[in-house]
Amino acid sequence: MKRRRFLKLLTSILGVSALSAFTYPILRFLTPLKAKGKGESIIIAKREIPIEGAKDLVIGGVPAVLINRKDKGYIILSKVCTHLGCLVKYDKEKLLLICPCHAGSFDLEGNVVSGPPPKSLEKFQFRIEGDNVRIG
Amino acid sequence: MVQRIREWIEIRTGISELVRSQLIGYMVPRNINIFYSLGIVAFVAYIIQAITGIFLLIYYAPHEDHAFKSIQLIMNTVPYGWLFRLMHVVGSNLMVAVVFLHMLSVFFLQAYKKPRELTWVIGALMSLITLTFCLSGYLLPWSQLSYWATTIVTTMPTAFPVIGDFFTKLLRGGEQVSGVTLNRFFAVHVAFLPPLMLILFGIHIFLVCRIGFSSPPFGKVIEERKEWKEFRPESYPDGHPFYPYFFSKEAFMIFLYFLAMFFIISFAPALFLPADANTPADPLNTPEHVRPEWYFLAPYQMFKLIPNKFLGIILQITLVILFILWPFFDRLKENNILKRPRLLVLFLGVLSLWAVLTIWGSY
Repeated sequence: MKRRRFLKLLTSILGVSALSAFTYPILRFLTPLKAKGKGESIIIAKREIPIEGAKDLVIGGVPAVLINRKDKGYIILSKVCTHLGCLVKYDKEKLLLICPCHAGSFDLEGNVVSGPPPKSLEKFQFRIEGDNVRIG
Repeated sequence: MVQRIREWIEIRTGISELVRSQLIGYMVPRNINIFYSLGIVAFVAYIIQAITGIFLLIYYAPHEDHAFKSIQLIMNTVPYGWLFRLMHVVGSNLMVAVVFLHMLSVFFLQAYKKPRELTWVIGALMSLITLTFCLSGYLLPWSQLSYWATTIVTTMPTAFPVIGDFFTKLLRGGEQVSGVTLNRFFAVHVAFLPPLMLILFGIHIFLVCRIGFSSPPFGKVIEERKEWKEFRPESYPDGHPFYPYFFSKEAFMIFLYFLAMFFIISFAPALFLPADANTPADPLNTPEHVRPEWYFLAPYQMFKLIPNKFLGIILQITLVILFILWPFFDRLKENNILKRPRLLVLFLGVLSLWAVLTIWGSY
């Protein structure tokens, strides 16, 4: 191999290595940070939520609502509408979650009742521990 | 496949003709040395600052309540945030050093002489903008160091009678350095200075390319110097091709720059970040021994030594004007500084005085 060709090859290898060494840090830098509170437990006293009452929460950065349903017990649903991401509101009179943007509505299981949302609301896991509801 | 892509680009851009005429066919003086590559190193340094600065903007919050916290977030939580912040901090100091070296070498090689006076003037303005970049960026972390160093610097204009107070208030956006000052400095740092620098850079490069490289006044071969009575690009038919001869020198110097940067980041990461740079700004508590960055120590010490503030600032402004317009004061044709003992003594004297004031100012 000629000296010039060798030097060109060496420079190319070093240059590509140096540049690719920056790829990982750049990708990691641009990756969204872990949402605050993700993995942390949230404890809510049952008495805070009367029957057919609801409480707004933020679970791992996602707005959610804890609803105490008559006969069916507690459920935690994401408030993020599956249509275009607006936040649904709990309507105590109609027992529905209604999106203010395009009038999509969900029942208290999170299923689509009417409007454009393509799928049900996300459900969050929780445990009942004595007088408390524990999430996470 | 690669060949077809190459041909496709070639037909539409004629890039190989450009490479032949502007890189391989472009001749540089045979005795050109490594100091001529400092300009491109300064340019690379500026590009690194721009790229890392854009990265930092993703997480930085220019507000007095959030600025310091956002810097802490970048340093401690954001993956590799420390890397881009340290590259920006270390890079700013190295950039100033490279710009200083570039100006010194241009002075020593007398490359500012006719017809390159304008190239020098634009370069001198660019070096002042570089310092303004550093000054405006210094406040952004909203640390004790940045807050009080900015307080000192923005107090300096008050030495001017009548307009001084007004100018200080204009800089600060109020009586004291506050969140308003932070917003102003941020706007200057990221929106006002970069386009200004790019315009001056464009003019500088245009002049360098249009006039051509100057030849070193000493070395193995001394090109015959002709009288400049009309415009003509300087050419060196017997010189070396820019690529690969001079290009390899430039590449070497750029690698050296990166070597210095990553050596400091690896082995002395706190070199430019003392304890006060990691303490949030407290407008009610001045830390002891507030000092500006190393490149401002000489003017700062000079300012402290001169008892009359007005006289101090006038002297400094005069020196800056003399520096910018130097080619118009030095009209002698001789371009070998070694054959001009008085100028050599002046050069070494100013350099020594600068070094003494810098060391003195650091204590």
